[in-house]
Amino acid sequence: MVIAALATFATLLAAWLVAPSSEQRDRDRARAALASELAVAPRPAVGERSSV
Amino acid sequence: MPTAINAGDTAWILMSSALVMLMTPGLALFYGGLVRRKNVLSTIMHSFFILGLVSVTWVLWGYSLAFGPDAGGGLIGRLDWLGLEGVTGEPSPTYAPTIPHLAFMAFQMMFAIITPALISGSFAERKRFKAFVLFAVAWSTLVYAPIAHWVWSPDGWLYGLGVLDFAGGTVVHLSSGVAALMAALFIGRRTGLIEPATEPHDVPMTVLGAGLLWFGWFGFNAGSALAANGVAATAFVTTNTAAAMAAITWVTISWLHRGTPSVLGAAIGAVAGLVAITPAAGFVTPAASILIGAGVAIGCYGASQLRLRSRIDDALDVFAVHGVGGAFGALATGIFATVAVNAAGRDGLLAGAPSQVVIQLVAIGVVALYSATVTAGILFVVNLIVPIRVPHAEEEAGLDLAQHGEVAYQP
Repeated sequence: MVIAALATFATLLAAWLVAPSSEQRDRDRARAALASELAVAPRPAVGERSSV
Repeated sequence: MPTAINAGDTAWILMSSALVMLMTPGLALFYGGLVRRKNVLSTIMHSFFILGLVSVTWVLWGYSLAFGPDAGGGLIGRLDWLGLEGVTGEPSPTYAPTIPHLAFMAFQMMFAIITPALISGSFAERKRFKAFVLFAVAWSTLVYAPIAHWVWSPDGWLYGLGVLDFAGGTVVHLSSGVAALMAALFIGRRTGLIEPATEPHDVPMTVLGAGLLWFGWFGFNAGSALAANGVAATAFVTTNTAAAMAAITWVTISWLHRGTPSVLGAAIGAVAGLVAITPAAGFVTPAASILIGAGVAIGCYGASQLRLRSRIDDALDVFAVHGVGGAFGALATGIFATVAVNAAGRDGLLAGAPSQVVIQLVAIGVVALYSATVTAGILFVVNLIVPIRVPHAEEEAGLDLAQHGEVAYQP
C-alpha cells in the first residue's frame, strides 16, 4: 500500500515536471492564432497566381 | 514511558492541529494583501498549494525523517514510519504519551506545512510556480525534517545539548527566515519597484490574515504543551501578551518615525511578537513575554528599515520578521526561561544558568548556517531543472495571468 501511495505521488511529481510552462502556452496560443488566421484567409481563384 | 490516552489532551491537540492548519490560509491572506493586485492569486496559491503538497509528503516520508527512530548521530530519522506504517491511534512511548500517535503526527504536520509557505513571501511576484513546487518538496525534506529531528526528537543532537525551543523559534521561523533571505538574494530584485503600485494592494486583507494567524497561533504554541494543562495555559497567555505588546510597540515606533500610527504596522508587529514568543511560550512568565514582545518589535522594525536601505528585495520582509524574530526569541528563551514555569524545561540566564544562553546561540548559529547552505544548494539545482524566475514580460503582466491564467479582480 505504501509503495502504491509513493508511486501515485511520484506520478504527480512527473506530471508537474512535464506540465506546460507559461512560455509553452504562449507559443501554443500564438501558433493557434496563426493557424486560424491562415484558415480564414481568402483562397486565390483558379488560374490566379498564388504569389508574386 | 507509560502511555494512556487522555480525552482532554487528545481533544486539545486535535483542536490545536485545526487551529494551526488555519494559519496557512491566514498567511496566504496576510501575504496576498501585501503584494500588487496583479500577483495576489499567485501569492495566495503558494501557501494554499503547499497545504496540499506538504500534507502528502509529510505522511509519505516527512514525519518519519523528522520524528522516526534515529538513523545515527541525532541527525535524521529513519524511514521506519514511511507512509505512517506503525503510526497508529495508540500513544507513542516516545512522544506525547497521553494522546494518539496519529494526533501528534497531525499536529506536527501543520508546522511542516506552514514553514515552507513562510519562505514564499521573500521571492514573491517573480517566481515560477513549477519551480516553487519543486523547491518546496526539496526544502521540506532536506531542511525542515532534519532540523525538526535535531531539536524535537529525543535522539536529536541539539535536543541532547539542551536547547529550548517550545514551538519552533529555530525549527520554523529561523530556518524559514534564513531560507527566505537566500531565495531573495538568489532570484534578484523585482522589476518595477519604483511604481507607486508597489505599495500593498489590500491592507484589510493583510489585517484579516494577521488576525487569523494570531488566532491560529494559540494552537501553535499552547498546543505545543501536548496536553491540556498548566503549561498550555501559560503558553496561551504569553503568546497573546507578546503579540499584543509587539503590535502596540511597532505602531508606536512607526508613529514616532514616520508620523502616523500605521495599521499595517500593527498587523506586522503582532506577527513579529508571535514569532518571538514561539520558542519561549511554555518556558517563560507572562511578564517576560511583555519584554520579549517589546524587544522583538524594536529589533524587527530596525531590521525591516535596514532591508529597505539595502539592495536585497525580500519582498514581504520574511527575514526581518521570521529570521530576526526567530533568532531573537530563541535567545530570549535562554535569558528568561525558568523551571518555575515549566518543570520539564530548564533555567535561563536570569534564573542563574548563563550556559543556556550559549546553548541557544549554538542552536541559532547552526540552524541558520545549515538552512542557508542547503537552501542555496536547492535553489541552484531547481534553477537548473526549471528556471525559478519568470521572464520579464510575465513579471510585467503579473503572475496571476501569466502563471495561472486567472485574475483576482474584474476591471
